[in-house]
Order: sequence, then C-alpha cells, then structure tokens
Amino acid sequence: MSDTKPKKRFHVKTLLILLLVAAGAYAAFWGPSILKPVNPVVVLPGEHTGLSLFGLEITNTMLATLLADVILIVMGFSAWRFAKSGQLVPKGFVNAFEAIVEFLWNSIESSAGAKWGRRIMPVVATIFLLIFVANMVKLVPGFESIGWMEESPHGEGYAAVQLIPGVYTIDKTQPVTLEHAEGEEATHTEGEAPCQACEVVPWFRGSATDLNFTIALAVITVVMTQVYGVWALGPGYFSKFMPFKELVSGNPFGIINFAVGFLEIILEFAKILSFAFRLFGNIFAGALLLSIIGALLPIVIPPVLYIFEVFFGIIQAYVFFLLAVVFISGALVSHSDHGEEHH
Amino acid sequence: MEFNEFFVLGMKLLGAGMAMLGAIGAGVGVGIAASGGVQAMGRNPDAAPIIQTNMILGMAFAEAVAIYALAVALIIIFAT
Repeated sequence: MSDTKPKKRFHVKTLLILLLVAAGAYAAFWGPSILKPVNPVVVLPGEHTGLSLFGLEITNTMLATLLADVILIVMGFSAWRFAKSGQLVPKGFVNAFEAIVEFLWNSIESSAGAKWGRRIMPVVATIFLLIFVANMVKLVPGFESIGWMEESPHGEGYAAVQLIPGVYTIDKTQPVTLEHAEGEEATHTEGEAPCQACEVVPWFRGSATDLNFTIALAVITVVMTQVYGVWALGPGYFSKFMPFKELVSGNPFGIINFAVGFLEIILEFAKILSFAFRLFGNIFAGALLLSIIGALLPIVIPPVLYIFEVFFGIIQAYVFFLLAVVFISGALVSHSDHGEEHH
Repeated sequence: MEFNEFFVLGMKLLGAGMAMLGAIGAGVGVGIAASGGVQAMGRNPDAAPIIQTNMILGMAFAEAVAIYALAVALIIIFAT
C-alpha cells in the first residue's frame, strides 16, 4: 500500500503537466482566436496610464515601482512586528526574510568588515530588496498584459472584441490598419468598442524595463560611494581624483599619475552607465524574449524561460548589490597609502 | 547625397545589429569566468562561497562590454 502511494501522486503531477501543455497547445493553435498570442510590441519608455499627480504624468513603470514599494514596506513592517514580539524562532515568511538579510549581511561583512558593513548595510540592502521585489512582482501574470485599450499611435493594431460588458480583448486574427492615423478622434459611446486599431497600454510594467528606474538607482549608488569615501577619509578622499601631491613630489611619473586622476573621474560616470544599463538590459531583454518566444512558439518553452526569468531577477539584484558593496568598500580605503606600498 | 528614407531605416537596424557584435567578447569572457569558477569550486569545495562571489563579480565586469554594445544599439535605433 505504502509503495503505491507516491507513484500515484507522481502520475497525478505528470497528468497535470500534460493537461497544462495540452491546454496551451489548444489555446495557441485550435482554440478561439482571442486566445492566440499577439505579436509583441516593443515600447522603450514607460507609457502613460492617464493618472497624474501635481501635473506629473504617472507612467506604468512608476505604478509598478510603487507597488513594489508597498510590498516592501509590508515586508519590513511584518519583520519589525516580529522583532518587537520578542520571539526568537522565526516562522514562515519572516524566516525567509531573515535568511535573505543574513545572506546580505554575510556578503557585506566579508568585503567591508563589520564596522563599515554596519554603516553601508542600509543603503545597499535597500537597493537589493527593491530590485529583488520589483523583479519578482513583474513576473506576476497580468503585469504587462492588462490595461487600458487605446488607439495605436502607428495606425496599426487589432480589432477589439467584447468579452463581458466593459471588458475587451484584442484579436490577433483581425488586424486593422487605419488609413488616417492622425486627426481621427475615436468616438466613445456606451457599448461600443473603445478604438478601431487597438493596442493595450498596461497598468503595470516591470520597473527595471524603464531606464529612469535603473539610472536613479545607479546615481544613488555612485553618489553614496562618494559620501562614504568622504566619511571614511575626510576631504583627502578627493585626492584620488585630483592628486596634486603627485605633481610636486618630484616623481618623474607624477604627471602621469595626475592624468590618471582624470581617468578616475571618467570611471565614476562609466559606473553609472554600466550599473544602469546592466540591470535595464537584462530585465528588458528578458521581457522581450518572453513575449517574442510566446508569440512564436507558445507551448512548453515559455514556462522554462519564465523560471529562467525568476533566476535572472535574483541574480541581477544580487549583482547590483555586490558591485555597490565592492565599489563602496573600495572607496573606504585610502588611495595614496595603497600606492606607497608598491613604490 | 540624398538617400532613400527606407534605406536609412534599414541601415540603422543593420548598424544596431552590428553594434551587438560586441556581445561575442562578453559571452566568451563570461564563459571563461564560469568555467574557471566551477573548476576551482570542484577542487576546493570549502572555498565555494568566496569563489562564487568573485566569479559573479568577474562575470558582471565582463558583461559590461555587452552592456555598452546594447547601449550603443539602443541609441542607434531610438535616439537618432
């Protein structure tokens, strides 16, 4: 009896997976046309959701970032409540949270030491948690696919099909090309399709697929690097960028070392660029890959890529965090002391 | 010299594709880093955490080249 039990459960799982694959194949090839995947539309900047705050247009990537923020605050609040309750053994969600924070603390301590690790932890760990939560939240189904239906700016789109009153979907088999893309106002009437050549403008889009999010994080990281450098070394930190001492030291290579200072300044700006584009490129390329493969071959492969996306979301958050830690702990050490050891 | 509008568009996309040739070097670099890291971890499993950290760091720096190529490609397509 006990031998057959796990076998039975295995078969149930296999059947479930096969059923899901069959459902995917049905939706992609034989089912009603509204279930078929539409061709991907590549949009680089965040799209406006129609909301605005003090004249500032709120884009869908900003909304997604706000959602990630709210989730993060709830996570932090629950961890705080647990710490206040005085229990020592965490359970469930708080346990996972503690594991993450402990992992972060270990990698900070190993490269910056306990004293400075305590000071840089709040900045880098917040950045890690924000990117991590934003990347995970972006993978929830409904992100990037549910939103307002709007007239396509290129005049090419799909016809709108009514599912239930007030809810529409676009149909791949009915592409519409408008002759006069501009000057033709969509007439909004009750019970009629909201547009002719439609395009879905999602309410939420992954935060990291917007360059504004990644550049903001990169600028914060690089500025905080300078702040920690000044905190650790005082004004002498800036001698890394303008080593006047080298000029008057009489060393024949002094002028070269002085020029290297300018390279250091350029390097700081290159850090912003590579920080921002690394995160953006990986997440944007992942989202693009999912939608293109989803349109080309919508069975079996997209779930595998989805798991890959989860993995990349974690790895990219970790890489951003690790580089921030390494750069900040590099700025804590005096540059000139290091040079004197060699000469 | 006046060029056809579609010719310019096509050349732009071709240029963006060629800019991404820079990803070849990054791919080779990341592969070498992973191979070295895995070999080191196989020989000395006790040092796995520190090797892993440094391996990911090296991969991130090698990847930066591909990131610059991506930036150039995106600029060619969207900003010109």
